[in-house]
Amino acid sequence: MLSDIRVSCSPHISERFSTRSVMIDVIIGLAPAMAAAVYFFRMHALMLIVACVTSCVAAEWLCNLIRKKPNSLDDFSAVVTGVILALSLPPSLPIWAAVIGGVFSITIGKMVFGGLGGNIFNPAMAGRTFLTVSFGVLMTSWTVPASIIPEMPAVAQENTLDARTQATPLAWSKLAIKNELGADIYSEQQFMATLTGEVGGCLGETSVIALLIGGIYLLIRRTINFHIPLAVLSAAFVFAGIAYLIDSYVYVQPFFHLTSGGLFLCAFFIATDPVTAPLTRRGMWVFGIGVGALTMLIRIVGEYPEGIMFSILIMNAVTPLIDRFFKRIPAGGSPNV
Amino acid sequence: MNVGPVGRFTFSGGVHPPENKGLTCDSQIQPGPAVKKVAVMLSQHIGAVCRPLVRKAEAVQAGQKIGDSDSFVSAPVHSPINGKVKEIALRSHAVLGRGMAVVIDALEYNPSKRSYFKLDDSFDVDNYTSEQICEAVRNTGLVGMGGAGFPTRVKIEPNPRLPKETLIINGCECEPYITCDYRIMLEWTRQIIAGIKLARKASGCSKVFIGIEDNKPRAIEVMNIALKDFGKDDRIKVVPVKTKYPQGGERQLIKAILKKNVPAGGIPPMIGVVVLNVATTAAIAEAVVSNLPLTHRVVSVTGEAIANPGNYYVPIGTSVQDLLDFCGSVTQKSAKVVFGGPMMGIAIADLETPITKATNAVTVLTKDQIGRAKFARRQTPCIRCGRCLQVCPENLNPTRIAHAVKNNLLKVAERYYMSACIECGCCSYVCPANIEVTGYIKTGKIFLARQKKKMAQ
Repeated sequence: MLSDIRVSCSPHISERFSTRSVMIDVIIGLAPAMAAAVYFFRMHALMLIVACVTSCVAAEWLCNLIRKKPNSLDDFSAVVTGVILALSLPPSLPIWAAVIGGVFSITIGKMVFGGLGGNIFNPAMAGRTFLTVSFGVLMTSWTVPASIIPEMPAVAQENTLDARTQATPLAWSKLAIKNELGADIYSEQQFMATLTGEVGGCLGETSVIALLIGGIYLLIRRTINFHIPLAVLSAAFVFAGIAYLIDSYVYVQPFFHLTSGGLFLCAFFIATDPVTAPLTRRGMWVFGIGVGALTMLIRIVGEYPEGIMFSILIMNAVTPLIDRFFKRIPAGGSPNV
Repeated sequence: MNVGPVGRFTFSGGVHPPENKGLTCDSQIQPGPAVKKVAVMLSQHIGAVCRPLVRKAEAVQAGQKIGDSDSFVSAPVHSPINGKVKEIALRSHAVLGRGMAVVIDALEYNPSKRSYFKLDDSFDVDNYTSEQICEAVRNTGLVGMGGAGFPTRVKIEPNPRLPKETLIINGCECEPYITCDYRIMLEWTRQIIAGIKLARKASGCSKVFIGIEDNKPRAIEVMNIALKDFGKDDRIKVVPVKTKYPQGGERQLIKAILKKNVPAGGIPPMIGVVVLNVATTAAIAEAVVSNLPLTHRVVSVTGEAIANPGNYYVPIGTSVQDLLDFCGSVTQKSAKVVFGGPMMGIAIADLETPITKATNAVTVLTKDQIGRAKFARRQTPCIRCGRCLQVCPENLNPTRIAHAVKNNLLKVAERYYMSACIECGCCSYVCPANIEVTGYIKTGKIFLARQKKKMAQ
């Protein structure tokens, strides 16, 4: 018999989505990139990922304990932060630095703002910025993937630069800009290398194919919208193309910019972090274009070879403004009350 | 269901909840329980509350007017049965919380005797004038039977300031579970068409569209055949629309069929449109042709927790308990009893709550249907995923409004057009954080209304 009558406001049914399922989806989407990272950079990559995830989870647990808040680990957002942070670290980074990054990401990047949903900046990017500023040398020394046969030349093939130490394509292209070397070494083979990931770079950003698989999974699952990735990639392409058209000797091809560096990781997994991205469609376009354009600006004009991290943080900071500026108008027009 | 015509028309946004109409869609409209007692609420509609016209211990006849109001936006109530007034007292009201009701003890009531009227072939819309129709609709206490309960006479009466051109008949029934409108369309087709003609004449509309979701191909077919049989009329057209919730919201239906937007905070007559539910249309025919007051209606009693779900023609004022007992009672220990469908329906705590003219279904939802998280009402913080913005049929920013209300910032909520919300519940439905977005917005609207009332004083 009916003895326990529940009352609440409507609706009484809901879609079987939860914050946890959204976060688990992101982790599944990142799985190919993690696998690629472990394949290319072997044991140390795995240790970095584990270290980041563990330190993030531990930091969140400790913060909740100190703030006397209910445990929020079951929403898996700390794990996502840890994985994204690990994938944006250089493969030769010592474990202790990764742990520091993870703790910073969660405590200063997220928990001081009140936990999930309250943070202004992407926690993983905040942690990475902290590491870049603190340990500049460690964060810019790259090792080549373990799968590369020593005889096989890396990207900077016909170049005088040593491919072993200056292995990332972007660092090389930066040098090309600075030293006014010829940038037209972009061959089919190198393009293939940036697609599969057999180049130097951060853990998760080298293999474009793995990132694309994960991104498409997220798009199919409707965990992310196509607006931000499309805006980031197309804006980056357009701005790189403009630079290329201005001086094709110094500046590399736009396709090169698209596939090298962390652009795909950023477009599908970092810029789409819902907490720090705008809510409205038009806002998403503006946000994505801003990220893409700023990244290119830093890559081409700025001092750093890679600009993803800073452009994300800058656009995160303007997200509230974008949201306020691109307000939605009701279907029936704004009422004149 | 077989594959029927595909509806191309729709609106932007909306969700696709599981329909679950299979429970009752093939059960014919049957007479309801032989009630011993009814409680007829004095406020069953939007507008002024009725004054009781009877006293305690007074004998009443079936169809006798027992409550009325002089106010324009109101509708009288009638006794559905022969009996004696037991008391005029407070009863639980699904929408208002509590309200005065006339409680009548039945002397004798045989549900199988009181059935819906049969329309004979002599019906001709030219026998009635517009004034006669409006008067009959007013006297029989007709209100919108789709859920809101807006007095029908106010809707269809010609208004020189807002001339009406188009009449839209709402046969969408987009809420999951409910099938009463579907059964009415199948079984009372001729009455609906008679009602359409009467309503058109009364309101002065020329074009009529009957909007039916394309998950009801049989209803579309039956309506089309009946339209042909009932004398050709080019100005009445059946329009299949896409199956999507809230397609049956009048603003969404107008958008789908006419491609026009009703101004935010406005009403359909502002763009020359009247929207009537199919059950209301059938009731108009009954009211005008046989002059019977609105004392009975079709209610779907449905949900997985019910032993014998079905569609029943029951007297208004029947308590939920009687209805559930009649349907073989509830098989689960814990459940939610909802007036209306699961998306917009109102969960009730008191099983003595009587059904009103606007109650189209009693849905009993089990823990399984509701979902564990929703049942326990576990929430996480908003992660700003933006799903509520994508599904909002009114193109609002639900999470912003909800959080403004939560933080008691009604001004901010207003700036994000809180009053344009139609409370369809899509935002709460998709929310991965399980936040009661619609609940907050509803609360905010109530706070705002109170604030305005205070300011006026």
